[in-house]
Amino acid sequence: MSGLLRSPRVQLVLRLVLGAFFVYASLDKIWSPAAFAKIVYQWQVAGPVPSNLVAVTLPWIELLAGLLLVAGVWKRESALVIALMLAVFIVSAGSVMARGIDVENCGCVSVAKAEARSSWPPAWTKGVGWFLVSRNLVLLGAALVLVLAPPPRPGSPPEAS
Amino acid sequence: MLGDWKRFILILVTGAAAGFLWNAASGRGFALGRSVLVQAGDEIVGVADARTLLDRGALFLDARPRDFWRMSRIPGALPLPEEDFDRTFAEIEPRLRRASGIVVYCSGFGCEASHVVARKLRERGLIAAILDEGIPAWLDAGLPMDSEPRS
Repeated sequence: MSGLLRSPRVQLVLRLVLGAFFVYASLDKIWSPAAFAKIVYQWQVAGPVPSNLVAVTLPWIELLAGLLLVAGVWKRESALVIALMLAVFIVSAGSVMARGIDVENCGCVSVAKAEARSSWPPAWTKGVGWFLVSRNLVLLGAALVLVLAPPPRPGSPPEAS
Repeated sequence: MLGDWKRFILILVTGAAAGFLWNAASGRGFALGRSVLVQAGDEIVGVADARTLLDRGALFLDARPRDFWRMSRIPGALPLPEEDFDRTFAEIEPRLRRASGIVVYCSGFGCEASHVVARKLRERGLIAAILDEGIPAWLDAGLPMDSEPRS
């Protein structure tokens, strides 16, 4: 298993998928910062002003780290930034769930209001719950594989890093 | 093993700087120093002032869905749900016009319903204050709720 995770091809796939996901996840939030700030505030993890600061800065960090990961530049560092964000998301989601707070739209990839139950994707994929935590744990695992990948050997092809 | 810490910090700082720049210059930004829910013209009252207004006979309005109001409410509050505003407003308009003061509240923490309801009232010539942080602030101050079920 560890050999598979060290495979340059596997790391390339993880890098592109993780980077593309974070680029995609950042766009709607960048376009609508006020709407995202309302969602951050609904998590009840921070007060109104800290929530504003998170809403304004977080999507751009996601975008930058995602682009770097896709481009293969500063791979380890950008993966570490993404891993750190995912760890914060997971802990925050756990806190929201433990306190019984109902957040219909987590604001993870879209700031649109939760839609009807019959819509696709289903509402439970958008709210703060076990699906979100599970998805973020998978993404965190992918990010950690990239962070902990062995450093490149001199003369090795770029994707072997 | 984890990479270069300077690069790590640079990603965070550059991303944050880009965010602040975008907020300031894109035309899509918003004021960072206050709640994003507050707009020009909104009158916000803290929980202590709201309590004083209640004691002086101000009318409290619950902007949450009616089922929440049925379960519990600030004593004496009437329901005026955001999603059923027009019909409910027509029912209680005479009382609103007679009220010595109006305070609207909802669930706090990102709940925008009280702001929306207060603005709709303002459009109809009624000045209504918004309880800052809503019910959580009320409860945190140790103030009572009426939990008698209502129909």
